[in-house]
Amino acid sequence: MLRRAISHIGLIIACLSVLLPILWVFRTSLVPEHASYSTDIFPELTLENYRLLFGDKNFGTNYANSLIVATLSVVLSMPFAAMTGYAFARFRTGGRIARFATLASQMLPPVALALPVFMLYRAAGLTNSLTGLTLIYAAINLPFLTWILMGFFESIPEDLEGAAMTDGATRWGAFWRIVLPVAAPGILASAVLGFILSWNEFLFALILGGSKTATVPVALAALQTSNGVQISQVSAGVSLAILPLLIAVHFIQKYLVQGLSFGSVK
Amino acid sequence: MAAIILDSISRDFGSGIFGVRDASLTIDEGEFMVLLGPSGCGKSTTLRMIAGLEEITSGRIRIGVRDVTRLAPRDRNVAVVFQSYALYPHMSVRENMRFGMKMRGTPLAEQDKRIKDAAEILGLNPYLDRKPGALSGGQRQRVALGRAMVREPDAFLMDEPLSNLDAKLRGEMRQELVKLHRRLGKTMVFVTHDHVEAMTMGDRICIMRDGRIEQVGPPLQVYANPVNTFVAQFLASPAMNLIPAQLVAGADGMAIAAGPVSGPLPARQASLYAAAAAEPAILGLRAEDLLARPGPSTLPVSGIVVTREALGAENLIAIEAEGVTLHARVGRDLLPALGDRITLHADMGQMHLFRAASGAAWPRGA
Repeated sequence: MLRRAISHIGLIIACLSVLLPILWVFRTSLVPEHASYSTDIFPELTLENYRLLFGDKNFGTNYANSLIVATLSVVLSMPFAAMTGYAFARFRTGGRIARFATLASQMLPPVALALPVFMLYRAAGLTNSLTGLTLIYAAINLPFLTWILMGFFESIPEDLEGAAMTDGATRWGAFWRIVLPVAAPGILASAVLGFILSWNEFLFALILGGSKTATVPVALAALQTSNGVQISQVSAGVSLAILPLLIAVHFIQKYLVQGLSFGSVK
Repeated sequence: MAAIILDSISRDFGSGIFGVRDASLTIDEGEFMVLLGPSGCGKSTTLRMIAGLEEITSGRIRIGVRDVTRLAPRDRNVAVVFQSYALYPHMSVRENMRFGMKMRGTPLAEQDKRIKDAAEILGLNPYLDRKPGALSGGQRQRVALGRAMVREPDAFLMDEPLSNLDAKLRGEMRQELVKLHRRLGKTMVFVTHDHVEAMTMGDRICIMRDGRIEQVGPPLQVYANPVNTFVAQFLASPAMNLIPAQLVAGADGMAIAAGPVSGPLPARQASLYAAAAAEPAILGLRAEDLLARPGPSTLPVSGIVVTREALGAENLIAIEAEGVTLHARVGRDLLPALGDRITLHADMGQMHLFRAASGAAWPRGA
């Protein structure tokens, strides 16, 4: 009994150490600016921070921008990632070199790419456009999603495709009608991971974007002004920024766990 | 329905590794052909080459009148039953069976009819709307068969379809498959490493080793006349006893000296193996040819009992004599204790003789 209690207390402490900062951010978003650093839990409740954020700071546009680029970049990169991952898994396309290159691209610090990409974008007239941001996020997502999906496809028995092809499907038909539906949990899980990656991206959004195309991370950074950090508004923005991730993870939790356990951890 | 002809097909995996090497085999129309061999002998690769799932590096394959060597799997009109069953996990049993027909544009009414008929034959009616995940191994096996049946293919290719079932179910499914074959009359190619399945199911069996075909023939004929020591040993359990031997021509016929088994040969064997006296040989004796009682053509073998397995209907005994272990299958009335010295009687009328150098059999006559 005592043992059980001790282990529970340990777990509660661990959970709180993760959850408290998030809960505190949420709390701060609901108190006036002057009370934000006080230790009272709820000195007075207000939605003023949210009103300021959406009214004065145009946060709604930032939010929409983030949703658009994060969603579109995943939608854009997913078909390519699925096909490339399948080719890597089934046909060993490009051999070990191609696999290594895919992984290695994830090790490159993004800042090393920032300047060349900016020059390219300026020449192509893609700066300060959602199209430009969507494209670069899709490019960043592609190797990451490819790698995860490759693991998924490798875990699908090859006999399934053999069965489909002797049943009358083409290789493409077997991929489309059998492999993709079977890999759906993995695809969904990696889509969410890709979405989170794009949603949180800051560097390229800052360099390639402008006031019109600023995403949530850029808008939040802008609240740290020379007159000080508007911590309550930042908290309100962060609370809202977490929201879509919470919703997405809630719906796909089951698949995400499955996805992480037999897809990427290979 | 169609014959399948393999014309010196090979599968070269590169760097000198062959899955199948120069295999030629004619499988007759409506025949039940069993490909038998140990793991890695190339039997599954051969099957996959017929199905079109494995590249053919040289040689040709014909199904019926068509040369299918370069055809895609879907154009060969064969159905494969995989060891893993390979049921589509996201589809119900009914959809699994429908998939192949849908791909081929079979009219919907015909699809329903065939699914109904197959479900009837295989006893799948209660499970048609379940997903494969909710079925037992035996039921999945039936669905895999049903999925092949409804296609009405030219030939059925089965890759160890019974190996994931428990012993009792496996025995039942053996019978059912043979019945199904009789009922459908289709050409069937069945891959297995289980000699019992091969003996009981095949019209003919094809024994493979290291990517090559060793022997093809009706099961009993292969059992009676194995072409070499590999086939002789593989096709039975316990495996055939093999003992280094020397034949000696004497004044009154031939005699054999094979460790604990030595003495004169019966007249028929003496004349059959007269030419073998010149070189070292291997004597082959099946476990059931070591008898408990002497007969007209037996030689006595005495040894110490080292293992005994009482199976109820019969007993499996191994004796050790002069450094040689001999396995015997005897009646249930003979069950000695471990360590007992007993005398068995080798029926030399049933002996096999192989060349020591190559392992090839001396012709045994009919």
